[in-house]
Amino acid sequence: MTENRSIQISNDNKRSPKKFPTVERFLEGWSVYKENLIGKIGLTLLIIFAVMAIASFFTPLIDPMYHPMTGVDPDISHSTSPSWRHWLGTDFIGRDILCQLLAGARIAFMVGISAAFMSIFLGTIIGMIAGYTGKVVDTLLMRLADMIMVMPTLLVVLILSSLFGQLNIWTIVLLIALFRWPGVSRVIRAQTLSLKERPFIEAAKVTGASHFRIIFRHIMPNVLPLSLLYMTFRVTSAIIIEAALAFLGFGDPSTVSWGMMLQWVWKTGHMFQAPYWLLPPGICISLLTLSFYMLGRAMEEVLDPRLRKEIAQE
Amino acid sequence: MESKNKNNHSILRIEGLKKYFPIRRGFLQKIHGWVKAVDGVSFEIEQGKTMGLVGESGCGKTTVARLILKLLESDAGKIIFQGHDIRRFSEKEMKPYRKEIQIIFQDPFGSLNPRMTIGQSIEEGIRILGNKHATNRKERLETLLSMVGMSSDSSDRYPHEFSGGQRQRIGIARALSVEPSLIVCDEPVSALDVSIQAQIINLLKDLQDQLGLSYLFISHDLNVVGYLCNTISVMYKGHIMEFASSEDIFNHPHHPYTISLLSAIPDPDPDIKWHVKPSNGHIGDSDVVPEGCKYQDRCTIAETACLKDKMVFEKVRENHFVRCWKAAKNHGSSPD
Repeated sequence: MTENRSIQISNDNKRSPKKFPTVERFLEGWSVYKENLIGKIGLTLLIIFAVMAIASFFTPLIDPMYHPMTGVDPDISHSTSPSWRHWLGTDFIGRDILCQLLAGARIAFMVGISAAFMSIFLGTIIGMIAGYTGKVVDTLLMRLADMIMVMPTLLVVLILSSLFGQLNIWTIVLLIALFRWPGVSRVIRAQTLSLKERPFIEAAKVTGASHFRIIFRHIMPNVLPLSLLYMTFRVTSAIIIEAALAFLGFGDPSTVSWGMMLQWVWKTGHMFQAPYWLLPPGICISLLTLSFYMLGRAMEEVLDPRLRKEIAQE
Repeated sequence: MESKNKNNHSILRIEGLKKYFPIRRGFLQKIHGWVKAVDGVSFEIEQGKTMGLVGESGCGKTTVARLILKLLESDAGKIIFQGHDIRRFSEKEMKPYRKEIQIIFQDPFGSLNPRMTIGQSIEEGIRILGNKHATNRKERLETLLSMVGMSSDSSDRYPHEFSGGQRQRIGIARALSVEPSLIVCDEPVSALDVSIQAQIINLLKDLQDQLGLSYLFISHDLNVVGYLCNTISVMYKGHIMEFASSEDIFNHPHHPYTISLLSAIPDPDPDIKWHVKPSNGHIGDSDVVPEGCKYQDRCTIAETACLKDKMVFEKVRENHFVRCWKAAKNHGSSPD
């Protein structure tokens, strides 16, 4: 059944190749992607986590005690091990750990994707401008990138939060983005440098296209796939940094993130007493970052044909 | 359009154009020497005519093209286009002239943006001309496509769906989209099959007749140049070695370099014995420029005088110039 359907799609696709070029390109990429085992595992994990994140919206509706932050089981005032009422047990004041875990997935996605998106946005724009303009602007931007690149993000955020007190989760996201663009901008700059020597850019210049138009109409569509690829890797690093900050006690106290959960385990002295509390957030952090990484690796293969293994012809 | 039909009027005149590239070496990137890519080139293209620029790889042909298009800043000389010296024009001053000079590239694969449809690529020029109405633009796009012999339904497709020859046609349509008066063709047929070459060349000829275009046709293929061009400049190491009408170059070549180039044209007739009169050795590094004639080390008739004296462009007859004192003397001419 499914095989038939996929054949049908590819046939339709061949018949009208010019109707939906974006769809066509997507399907073409997907056919490469789905051959990749790592990519499939990564995507499956990611879907599971996405379902978890969505589920977190519904838990408080079942019973107020399943609210990850404020919901306390009236009968419990200490950490308990898994039971029917609390599948993963409760924390030190009787909050449900599973609910916290689900809410943590939501926060992880939020932090990871928004921080990665912002850093990619900055990195792509700065990289394109540096590569296209060249000369002084290029040197200035790239030296700035070098300076930021050598600063350890975690340390800087730690110092800032000890200076300004508790940081809001969005401030943390912004800081991560501000410190994670240089790597992207270097790659995009290199790509821009090679693109701007291509004849089609010169042709655009000769017809009188503005610099703005050349950068955003001609160069950007050609570097965007690369930016998206880097985004998946940036998500990973953003999630890890946020978790580390939260674990060290510099997270946003009003959010339930996995790092925060680990901090509660540690602070309340349950590190070795309550594995049902310690392990789930730890495993989730590892698996989520792993799945984004796997997604990135598989996408890399789609975008760079040289990395593709020989796929048997149909 | 009326003004374009004025005859015997030069559209582009180049005088003593120079471009030297610095050779930087070492840690401090000190300038070590200069590559004289274009070293005092002068020529003229008449309205509605074609000038061929021939020469082997690395002689500076493409650099000349890029200088004219202002993709590169030239170091000295004059680029007089429609009566204005545009060489030192800023981008703003250049704006009204930008669209007048267009280019067709050698590589049909790199000359179209892979992420834009053919229609988008061509429409860009129409838009820059200031055509605000979408329906007008669409009409213009269809006219352009039919002008270059493409069907209008190809406008929604992407470059990778076309063959080299088709892409070259699209490149021509893109160049025409801004209604230029001069098109620089930088080896437009070198990357194509011979059968397709003929199609493209005939297309260029037809377009010239229809629109009164002028061409600067850069090539290393003398057959193509001879068929298409009214005048020919032979270039060697940044110098124009010989300039004459197409017939004169083919029938009465004077410069030893031109003679050796012409003898290298293969003849398809198997009965004709092929006598190549080779130059000695290879084209050397451009950064080691000898005194005197630039062709001295490969010339078959070079004398000691050639090693020292600077060559001047000498007139051998009306509209025929040669940069070789020996050739000029042999044909009984007076220095220009």
